[in-house]
Parts: sequence; C-alpha cells; structure tokens
Amino acid sequence: MMEARKKHMALAVCTGCGIGECIDTDKLDDAAGEALQGINCIQHGSLCSVAGLAELNRMVGEKGVDRLAVAACSPRVKSTEFELDGVHVERINLREQVAWVMEPDHEDTQMCAEDQTRMVLAKLDTIKENSPYIPDHLSSDILVVGGGIAGLTSALEGARAGYRVHLVERSDRLGGYAGRIYKMLPGSEESATLKEPDLHEKVKEVEGHPGIEVYLESTIESISGEPGNFSVALNNRLVSELQVGAVVTATGWKPYNTEKLAPLGYGSPRVKTLEEFEQFVQEKQLPDRILFILCAGSRDEKHLSYCSSYCCGAALKQALYVREKNPNAEVYIVYRDIRTPGFQEEFYKMVQADDAIFMTKGVIEKVSDTEDGVEVTVTESLLDDRVTITSDMVVLATGMVPNTTADLNLQYRLGKGLPEIEYDFSDSHFTCFPYETRRTGIFAAGTVRAPMDMEMSGEDGAGAMMKAIQTVECVKRGEAVHPRAGDMTWPELYMERCTDCKRCTEECPFGSYDETEKGTPLPNPARCRRCGICVGSCPERVIGFADFSINSVSAMIKAVHVPDEFEEKPRILVFVCENDAYPALDAAGVNRLKYSPFVRIIPVRCLGSINKVWISDALSHGYDGILQIGCKPGDDYQCHFIHGSELTEQRGENLQETLKTMMLEPERIRTRFIEITEHHEIQEMINDYAEEMELIGPNPYKSM
Amino acid sequence: MGKIRPDIGFKRELSRLSGSQLNQCMQCGNCSAVCSLAPAERPFPRKEMVWSGWGLKDKLIGNVDIWLCYQCGDCSTYCPRDVKPADVISAIRQKTYQHYARPRFLGKLVSDPAWLPVAIAIPVVVIIAILSLAGTFRIPEGPVDYSAFFPHGLLNGTFSAITLFFYLLASLGIGRFWKDMKRQTPPGKSGMKSLPVFSVLGEILSHSSFSGCGSRKPGKVAHMLLFFGFALLIMVTLYAIWATVTHHYPLPITNPFKILGNMASLMIYTGLGIMIWQRLFNRRVFGKSGYSDWLLLVSIGLLTLSGTLVQLARLGEWSVAYHLYFFHLVAVWFVIMYLPFTKLGHIFYRTTALLYARTIGRK
Repeated sequence: MMEARKKHMALAVCTGCGIGECIDTDKLDDAAGEALQGINCIQHGSLCSVAGLAELNRMVGEKGVDRLAVAACSPRVKSTEFELDGVHVERINLREQVAWVMEPDHEDTQMCAEDQTRMVLAKLDTIKENSPYIPDHLSSDILVVGGGIAGLTSALEGARAGYRVHLVERSDRLGGYAGRIYKMLPGSEESATLKEPDLHEKVKEVEGHPGIEVYLESTIESISGEPGNFSVALNNRLVSELQVGAVVTATGWKPYNTEKLAPLGYGSPRVKTLEEFEQFVQEKQLPDRILFILCAGSRDEKHLSYCSSYCCGAALKQALYVREKNPNAEVYIVYRDIRTPGFQEEFYKMVQADDAIFMTKGVIEKVSDTEDGVEVTVTESLLDDRVTITSDMVVLATGMVPNTTADLNLQYRLGKGLPEIEYDFSDSHFTCFPYETRRTGIFAAGTVRAPMDMEMSGEDGAGAMMKAIQTVECVKRGEAVHPRAGDMTWPELYMERCTDCKRCTEECPFGSYDETEKGTPLPNPARCRRCGICVGSCPERVIGFADFSINSVSAMIKAVHVPDEFEEKPRILVFVCENDAYPALDAAGVNRLKYSPFVRIIPVRCLGSINKVWISDALSHGYDGILQIGCKPGDDYQCHFIHGSELTEQRGENLQETLKTMMLEPERIRTRFIEITEHHEIQEMINDYAEEMELIGPNPYKSM
Repeated sequence: MGKIRPDIGFKRELSRLSGSQLNQCMQCGNCSAVCSLAPAERPFPRKEMVWSGWGLKDKLIGNVDIWLCYQCGDCSTYCPRDVKPADVISAIRQKTYQHYARPRFLGKLVSDPAWLPVAIAIPVVVIIAILSLAGTFRIPEGPVDYSAFFPHGLLNGTFSAITLFFYLLASLGIGRFWKDMKRQTPPGKSGMKSLPVFSVLGEILSHSSFSGCGSRKPGKVAHMLLFFGFALLIMVTLYAIWATVTHHYPLPITNPFKILGNMASLMIYTGLGIMIWQRLFNRRVFGKSGYSDWLLLVSIGLLTLSGTLVQLARLGEWSVAYHLYFFHLVAVWFVIMYLPFTKLGHIFYRTTALLYARTIGRK
C-alpha cells in the first residue's frame, strides 16, 4: 500500500434521463467544490452519448484526471462507456437511486443527491493504488482427480485447449463406472436404441495424448498452496510432486449402502443392485422373470431423500438387456414415478413399446425369497390393494452417493475435503455457479457434485475444465475468478496490529487463510473470492482492499451532512449488498417505486463485510438508523459468499450489546434480506423503517 | 388379493384388438378425471388400463364397469399418451363375448376374419338343407311368392328354433358373467336389492347415460335411431309371423305395419350412416375401427338393405327376387343368430351389467 502520485479528481454530472428535472445539478458542483477544492466539474445532457463522452475525455485529457466520479445512472449499466484508461472511475447512482425514487425538485431529494455525491467523492479521495496479487512460481498445469467419464472428458478438453493435464486415478484402469457397463443409453441422439459403450475410444485418446500425464493406482497425499500455485503430493509407486494451477475433482459416486436395503430383500443371491446386475448380465444366463424395484432407498426420508436421476434410465436400459439376452423373459417394473429427463423420454417410450415389460406404480411392502421365487408384495398400486408378484430375480435401482472429497487431502485450515451441503455433495450454487466449490481453483465435476447421468457427467467435466482454465489465466493476471470476475483488488493485512484472534481464519467461507501454530493468519490471496468477510470480521480493522477499506467506508459515512435534531430530517444509513440487494434497489428505481429521501446508500461487497466500526462511526456521526439489506440466508441461501448474511445476523447480537452500552434503542440497527426479484418489497422495507425511526426520534448523539 | 400372474398372451390380444400400446400408459389418471362414470375410490378406466397392461384377464372379464361405459370416447380424447382407453375397453368387451361363448368356436367364428367363410357357409348350408328337405330348393314359377320358395311355417319354425337354441347357449354364458361380476364386485353392506328391471329398462330406452358423452356427441342420436329402428322391425316381424297364420300374407304396402317397417328401415339407414361416417372420418376420437366394429355395421346394413330389396323385388317382379331373399335370410342369421357372440351381444351383456350394478346400488 503506497500513496502514489498526486490525485487529480473530477466530477462529471449527467442531467439526462430525468436527473436534470429532479435535481439542481449546479448545486452538486458546488457541493463537490466545497468537499474537494479545485475539483474539475462538467455537466452534460447525455453523458453517455458520443458528444458527452467526447467532452468527458477532453476534460480528462486536459486536466490529467486520474480519479473520476460519474454522477449519472447505476454502475450496473453503461459500464463500458465510462471505463477510461488510467482513470479510476466511481459512479454516483443519481438516476435509479435518487431521481427515479424521490420527489423531484424537493429539498430532501436535493440533499440526498448532494450527500451521495459527497460520499463517493470521499471514497475516491481515500482509495489506494492497487497492485494486483500474483503468486510466485505460477503453473498452468491442471490436475484432474478421477478417471471416469467426467475426469476423462475434463482431461481431454484441457489438453485440447493446450494445457498440460495430470490425471490421477485410484484404480489400475481408466473408465470408472462408465467403463464397466454393458451398453449405454442413447443420450441426445435421435435414435432411441441402446449404444455400444464408446468410452474405450476416449480412454485411448487420453492415454495417447501428449498433453496428458496419467497416474494409475495413485492417490493424493496432499494439496497445498493456492490457485496458480498448488503443490500436489501423489502417492503412487514413486511418490511424485506436482505443481498445478487448478484442480478438477471428478471422483464420482458409489451406490447407496446395500446393508440398509435388507427390507427390500438385499442379501439374497437373487436380489441384486443395478451395478451388480450390470455385471451379472455380462457373465450369466438370465432367468425368465425379473422384477425391478425403482427408487430403492431413494426419495425416502429413511434413506436418500433425493432423486439420483440416473436410476430410472439405467433400470429401463437393463430391462432391455434382459429382453435381448433372453427373449422369453418377462420384466416387471415397480416404480414410484418414472423419471426420464430430457431426451430419455424418447428412450422410455421405446422401452414401453416392448409388451413383455410390465410396469406399475406401487410401493414395496415386502420382499421375500421363497421356493417359488422372490415374492414382492406391492401396495398402493392400481393392480389391487395388495398384490404379490413372483419373479426369479429382483434388481434394486439404488441411488448415487458421492465419493468423499476428503481424499483430496487439502492442507487447509478449514479441512481436507470440500465443504458439503445437506446430501454430502460438494457445495456449489447449482444454478448460478455450477462446478464451483467453496475452495477457489478446485472445481467439482460429475457425480461427486450432483447426481447425473453419463452424458451430463461428460459435459460437466468439460465445464469444470473451462473454469479451471479460467482460474489459471485469471491468477496470472492477478484477477479474481468468480463471482467478482476480473476484480484485481485483494485483502491486504496490516500484520503489525494483528492480535492473532483467528476471526478472519475462521470466518472466511473459502478457506483463504491458513494460520501458524500461534494462530497468526497466513493469507493465500489467490484463494480469495474478494467478498470482504474478513474485513468485516476483524476487530482490529487491519484488513482492507485498495478500494474497500475501513477508511474508505468511514469516509463515506462521515461525508454526509447530518442536519441537527430540530430540522426533523432523519438520516438512515443503508448498507446494501452489491449482489442481489443493490440490483433490487435499481429495479425499484426502474419501476419508480418511491421511497424515503432520508436514506444514504453505501454498497458493500457482502453484508458479511460490514465492520462493526462503521456502525459506531455512523451512530456517533448522528445517523438515526442503520439498515442492512442482503441476500437470504438459510438452507436455500442466496448469499454469493455462502454465509455472509448469516454472519451479519450473528454479529448483530454483539452489536445490540454495543447499542445497549451507548443507551440506544435496538431498532436503530436492522437487517433485512431480499431476493434479486423482490424489488417491489424495497419500497415498504425502506419506508417502514424510516417511519419507525421517526417514531423513535432522533439519535441523541446527533449534535455532539 | 394374493398373487397375480401377468398374462402376456391376453395383453397382446387386447393390444392387437385395440391398436393400443398399453405400456405407453403412464397412469396419469386423465382418463378417470374426465370419465363421468368413474367412482371416486376406484378410478375407472385408469385401473383397467393397468390391468390390461399386465394382462390380468380375471379382473377384466366379468368386470361390471367395462359394461357401464357408453363409449363416449372422452378418455381417448384426453389421453396424453394416446393409449386409447376407449378402444381398450372395446377390446375387453370383444374378449368377453369370446370368453363366454359356448361352444367356444362360435366366439371365434365371428371375431376372426379368417373364419368369415365358415361363418357364412353355416347359414348357407343349413338353409339349403332345410329347403332341400322341404323339396322347395328351386326358383318357383309365376309371380314372386316367397312362401313358394320357403314356406312361412317352415321358416318361422326353423328360424325361431335355431335362434332360441343359440340364445339358450348364450344364457349359460350370461349366467357365468353374473357370477363373475358378483365375485369381482361383491355387493356392499346394503347387500343385493331386487332386480330393478323397470328403472334399467327406462335407462336403456331414454338413452339417458349417453348425455354424458362429450367426444362422441352424434353417438346418442345414431344409437337411438338404430335402437328404435331395430325394435320396430322386431315388432313388425312378430306381427308378420302372426299374420302368416291368421291373415293373408304378404301384407299390402299400405298396411300400417308395413309402413312402420319401412320407416324403421329408414331410421336404421340414417343411424348407420352417422356411425359409418364417424368411424371413417373421426379417427381421432374413434381410433382404429376393428373387424368386429365393421362386421356389425356391415351385417346390419346388408340385413336392412336386402330386406328393402326383397320387398321391392316382390312388388316389381324382379328376376333376382329369390336370390335376394336367400341373401336376406343369411343376413338375418348373421345378425340375429350370431347376436350373442358379436358386438351386438352388448344387448345382453350391458343389460345384465346394468341390472347387476343397480342391484348392488352402484350408480
């Protein structure tokens, strides 16, 4: 952190899109001039137009401006227009968050616009020069763990893109589950018939590819370091050390624990799982009557409560095996629901066309092995209240359980494996960020991440490899990978003041911090997602980003002019999470949902990045209330940084203590959660809080 | 119930007769949702579709619900998988005629096109035999007089006897059908009521249940025309038999019964026209019409048409009059004698099922 050259600041105000009609923009210039003497100001009726940008560029060139505040629309729009080489640009959101949501030409609106301007100018004045973090000894190699269909596809895609791939497989051959099957489902091809397995071609290509190094019968002793520079110790006949930039883990799945399936007859030699039957078909004669039980131990609170999505298709496939190998055979299928997603529906219809396959919905009551055969008693079917079907063999369609990721042996303070969600699958926000885990640079692909079929696993392997490549390239440039892709700032620690309290190492959701035996944090900035939760966690306030630090936010808080209590103009500080809440606020603006002009908005990287000191700064500066709006926590959390909102709730309890010691009402701090689509709730959320604050009365610290 | 034994042979038969891929049924229950007959606790025809898919013959033959259905076709119209429940129900009925037919070969005779020549040959041979025995098997001289070819007494006597014989055979099957219904759908707590003959008759005559038919709306009119046309013709025939004994026969064309008979023929032509039109051009609702459907429509058509022609031939002194008369007699055999074993057998089976259903209080 160093102060570089002298700052040349400027303010460019746009009066278009209704801003000029709502706000006296000349007064904004005056306010800027008061705040920063000698600041350069321009105004334009349409700043983002060709003419407007030309004027802006001229001013920037002539005055040598290196820090510019653009008072116009939301930073979420027109971002490329206002990107100027060598100039740090901050946006003042006068359009969506002032002009469109507040009374035009009103004293309070004007005050809000001026305050928001002052806040951003204060931030511009405090932010530091940033020098991106790039690890030493960069490697562009990529480690793929697991030689199944996802791992093979991943390795090939990486090698084809020109990256050196190390493929580690525990067993003595490549192929995984997909390498042992008799035939494959048709996938998305037009034909609905079964295919011969084609994995051996992929295996051959992987083995022959000069860019792929295959390590069979190998496990991982340890992985340490950070993206761009992971050290991997392999445990094979000759222990080898690898340096890689990113990791794809595709360690697959195992069938659900058969010991728990005794009630479904497992244990009898005539009762098999899908996996066992896949081998049985290839080796033995098939009997004349075979019954399949679908959802065996799946979608059941006592077993796996989820649907593994592959078992219906696999069972239908095996029904065809039976018919092919023994044309006299009859197949009975008892299902809860047949689930054949996507193109599998065509395949399902094809299987239905075989009238020697009998299907019924039903619930299995009992399976007993008798002299006549295996008797399966079915209830809740339309065949009758309770029927018994006799067969010579029963196949249980068991679900998928992910293999443990602890075998990665990560040398991270927060554990050897990837953090998991409810069902033991490695955590990822499936819709927003597939493949991502909570460990930056380590991606999960295939069935270790979610239940899926072979085709999807292949696609998953390719997708995860793309993310791995993105990681390697981003780290080289000193950029964050995701979700703040391209962010070149990173958390810097002023270690002299660190008290080894371990808050940052414990609260970082991504395991960025390791620590010494003493508990001193050892940052690995390339693992960082730039959420700033450590900034919020640090009681000594020693962590900060170049453009988001204790000082920069404090300066923004203090830049607001707080009227004295007799003016009856409360001030409410609103910390808004940039990920969902800020866009929701913008959307409220687009929909012209008016709210109180007493709010002063500060966007934050995550609710979890709010440091306690900002709260006390705000209260002592005279704000009447503090509203924090972030993403929803809980099981279906929406937080981009996993538990930022949760932390805010926990820290809120401590804050209440602080309020008590300051003799302040607990309502003065309020946390609310919102989804990106719930913009219509913003108005009520803000106005209700503003009303509440008026009822409680002014902050007694206001005039101190 | 205990063990079930899937019967792939029966499943394939139903599939062949209905043109339905039974396995395509995904048990969604749309058919039951749209069916006005489906009782809340026993979804009809959804469960029958599953039974068909498993070939559960024991549950389908002698099933009362199958015979309460008025073939409105709504289930087929709303089936998202095109499994055609209405046609499957038709197929189950056909298998029912065959199942209860005694001797068994009579069932086969009229259900399999391969046996059609034999089915035709039987009445031809029997009629020739009767005529040969009577010594009238030749074209008579003089003006057309059918009694010279086939004396009225002999005709009425032999045909009545043969019909009675066939119906007696059929009644054995009906009896077993009653028992099977009782086994499969036992009477509830309220037990069996006395036979509600009049209410069932009223229901049949009024065609009230047809009003629930959505997809085959013209069906009610067509069936009424055929039903009452047929009933009138039977009345006229009975009167004619009585007339041959007591009056001068043939009746003059102006005789009220004669006029009634010709009106009845017109009703049948109209009804048949609608039915044939529907089967040919409303495939979406009617699906694939099978042999038994066409056999019934064609034989009734030929019976009525040949009857009209026989009358015209007598009045017009046509030279082919006796050939037409012979043909007419074969057609009579097909429709009347074979009745319990063809699709027309629904007259017996549905009436029996309705009686049973109302006896046990089933709506």
